[in-house]
Amino acid sequence: MKRLFFLILPVLIACSCTKPEDPGTLDPEESFLAGNGVFIINEGNYTWGNGSISYFSYDSSIIFNDIFQKMNARPLGDVPNSMTINGDYAYIVVNNSGKIEVVKRNSLKSQATITGLKSPRNVVVIDNSKAYITSLYSDSLTIINLKNNTISGYVNIRRTSESIVLTGKKAFISNWNGGNEVVVVNTDLDKMIDSVEVGKEPESMAIDKKYILWVLCNGGWMRENYAELIGINTQTHEITKKLVFPSKLDSPSCLSINGDGDTLFFLEKGVKRMDIDAAGVPEVSFITEKGHMFYKLGINPVNGDIFVTDAVDYQQNGFVIRYSNKGDSVAGYKAGIIPGSMCFKVQSPSNTE
Amino acid sequence: MIKRKASGTILRHILLCGVFFIYIPLQGQNSLSEDTIRIKEVIISRKQISSDLPGFRKISIDTTLLKNYTNISLAELLALSSQVFIKSYGSGGSSTSSLRGTGASHTQVSWNGININNPMLGQTDFSLITSGLIDDVRISLGGASMETGNGGIGGIISLENNPDWSNRTSVMVNPDVGSFSRYVLLAGVKTGNDNFQSVTKAHVNYTENDFPYLNTEISSEPVLEKRENSQLSRKDFLQEFYLRKQDNDFSARIWYQSTDRNLPGSMLIQSGTQGEEQVDESIRSIFSFKSERGKTDYFVTGAWMHDRLDYSNPLASIESKNVSNSFTLKGGIETRILNSTKLRIFINNELNVIQSNNYENNVSRNTASITVIADKKSRNRFGSTIMIRETLDNTVLLIPDFSAGAEFRLFADEDHFLRSGFSRTSRVPSMNDRYWFPGGNEQLKNEYAFLYDLGYKMNQRLSPAISISSELGFFRNLIRDMIQWHPGEYTYWVADNLSRVNSTGFESSFSAAYSLNELSINLNAGYSFTRSVSAEAGTEEKIMNQLIYIPENQANGSLSTRYKNIYSVWTTIFTGRRYIVVDNSRHLPGYTVSNFIAGIKIPYKKHSFDVNFRIENVFNLSYQAIAHYPQPGRSYHISLLYKFINESN
Repeated sequence: MKRLFFLILPVLIACSCTKPEDPGTLDPEESFLAGNGVFIINEGNYTWGNGSISYFSYDSSIIFNDIFQKMNARPLGDVPNSMTINGDYAYIVVNNSGKIEVVKRNSLKSQATITGLKSPRNVVVIDNSKAYITSLYSDSLTIINLKNNTISGYVNIRRTSESIVLTGKKAFISNWNGGNEVVVVNTDLDKMIDSVEVGKEPESMAIDKKYILWVLCNGGWMRENYAELIGINTQTHEITKKLVFPSKLDSPSCLSINGDGDTLFFLEKGVKRMDIDAAGVPEVSFITEKGHMFYKLGINPVNGDIFVTDAVDYQQNGFVIRYSNKGDSVAGYKAGIIPGSMCFKVQSPSNTE
Repeated sequence: MIKRKASGTILRHILLCGVFFIYIPLQGQNSLSEDTIRIKEVIISRKQISSDLPGFRKISIDTTLLKNYTNISLAELLALSSQVFIKSYGSGGSSTSSLRGTGASHTQVSWNGININNPMLGQTDFSLITSGLIDDVRISLGGASMETGNGGIGGIISLENNPDWSNRTSVMVNPDVGSFSRYVLLAGVKTGNDNFQSVTKAHVNYTENDFPYLNTEISSEPVLEKRENSQLSRKDFLQEFYLRKQDNDFSARIWYQSTDRNLPGSMLIQSGTQGEEQVDESIRSIFSFKSERGKTDYFVTGAWMHDRLDYSNPLASIESKNVSNSFTLKGGIETRILNSTKLRIFINNELNVIQSNNYENNVSRNTASITVIADKKSRNRFGSTIMIRETLDNTVLLIPDFSAGAEFRLFADEDHFLRSGFSRTSRVPSMNDRYWFPGGNEQLKNEYAFLYDLGYKMNQRLSPAISISSELGFFRNLIRDMIQWHPGEYTYWVADNLSRVNSTGFESSFSAAYSLNELSINLNAGYSFTRSVSAEAGTEEKIMNQLIYIPENQANGSLSTRYKNIYSVWTTIFTGRRYIVVDNSRHLPGYTVSNFIAGIKIPYKKHSFDVNFRIENVFNLSYQAIAHYPQPGRSYHISLLYKFINESN
């Protein structure tokens, strides 16, 4: 019977090894959300449901992570992709959950959830009652009624869509996923009125102060073609400029423009900066990666601060790195898993809330 | 007086068992079937050291448990009967395993000694295997896996079909109906004599899987939803032939399996489903010949494994078509040298041929290995094992694997043993790791690991009616050159030998059996603690954090009783928290799930009827094994097992 000690031992160890569960705590952070800052949309891993929203607060120079979960006591969804602010509300596009979370921009408290979307990617607000949603897999844009946050219709563009920008009564939509076109939609009629053939896989777009639409074509994910930066006249839809990248291995992404609309930025082995009147794409990086691997880029439209994200190994929490408009590193902040696109909530000093 | 003393002793032992049952969330094995030979599971021999592979840990799933859970998948059976962690996407969904804190591809799976892991994935989906088709399931942990095959860094799960040389014909029909529109039928015919046996089994399963669950993730208040797009249709057919003449045995086994299932989305997908569907089809055939010549046994086995996996996602326009064919030739000898030493030498050659629209071209790979195993059992106190394997991966000769173990009986004529083992074992990359387009890396090296094992086990008969056994063990695995997919220079991910993982753990098990007259009670319990961390430098969050989806704590237990023809089994499993992000800031809570079976056996001449009623998830726990994928709540099942046995003269 003495040897029964050996039998009891595993039981004792079993009992002693159980850890108590961590209590869940919520820290109210609304006060910081009310000020100027930038939302970082952390994509998380596909199907893992670990996407989140971070907020870098200019007032406190602190980043707050996982805000949506804290404010709403539930996860955001699977692979949030982008966020757009319109008035008091913000629209968070959650790609693999097929939904848009409509939240208060100063608290991120959910106001409504628009469901039934096919792989939504980006949203552009047409006016106070209407927005368009692009889709990775659908051949239509979805029209959202912003008054009651419901789907009010579709615009058949006969191809999938990614980036979307607006000028006047026209929306320009890129057909990124294997495509090579930019589609033009009349926003009064909700109808496609034209398409422009561009380079392989137009990934991102921006409109400059001269109303030139800049389209960054990455050349295809397998590097089948040379990447191109193309300028399109938004009135005539003619290509006015075509800048070809020097190597097939160049894989630029995340075309952005500063608040004045005169300088383009994009990622290509660091941050590249280019005047809109430049004759060619820049060879030298404005900001080098220095041990990082830049994933997404955002430019503060008011002060020109440059924000880039680093997804590290795409499993652990990534970083957001902030540079001044001169390209000097200011600080780095730990965000969520796969920090992706950014949404600026900033007011110019002359237009404070 | 003697009677009173005996009953007092029995009562004391029963109370002791009860104490164990109260303290541990229990589960384990049961012994119910009329044809159960319980002693087979805990053979205690004092003539020699007990283990067939001294120094290493091997465990068996109780064959009686297999007999009572014939109509569930092997994933479900392993989850309720062992400390194998099953990572499941829910009922009918893909289920992979984790042994001793390692990944799914570190568990090798063999069927009658031949590797059946999908060569493209390098792992097995246990939800596709019907437990009722298998006669025996054994788990060889860590270095013990080298005895059977390559690559089992965590271990190897061996599925066996063995002949029963009885001279009779039996027919079995086993329908099973349950909640969530689950309809299962298992049927079989076994016939033969001393020289020839034929076993035929067929299985069909249709499950709607439309179980309700609480969705706590789409709004701040839980919403009751019903699982959609989760239907499963599975068919199996198994034919075995066995022939023996004098000292020669021949066997042929063919197993056809087909599963067509819809894949439900996560709870976070608002529309519920993306219309994903997967079809798995396999044909597995093994032909084996064994011959005994004096002190030496010879064997040769040929096998062909055909696997088809088609996945479609209409929303994303994905049509993935994958076919693999594997041809295996295995042969060797087993002989006795000196009096107490057994020497085994075998050669294994496996050719994998893959056709996939996810690869640039059709590809093939040939892996050849030679293994030498020597085990020595000196009298009844000491046993030792040495294993060495040399592997040729296509044309590359790999660093040899090896294993060494020893076992020592602590007290003469008593079954208390200490064991210790040390191994270096490796795993050849999966075909997807090498050839997936884009990102596969043909230059990948094999993963390798150093495995340390230390343990104690005992068996004791406390009285004629009560026997107990227990085992304690510690392990440490250092896995190096682990393959990891990571973002490459361009827009796609690539595979590289990047990761290093250290896992350390403790395992324990206890069982007690009481049997007197027509009453028998069996208690089984197990507990394991596993700490599995990244050993990479420079990524601070990973260091000292538990790897995601590796539970630190797991326990299982069961209490089975039988009185005359009435039986019942209570099983409980506990799975501790599992972290779901690498910085361990989020986790899934632990869960304790209990199942219950009660039944009666009614023999009538050559017929027997076994009716049982089963409740799964008795306490209707809402839980997830993988984040955002709900598991079913309480379900009810009724099963009838009809047997006709005709004994031949």
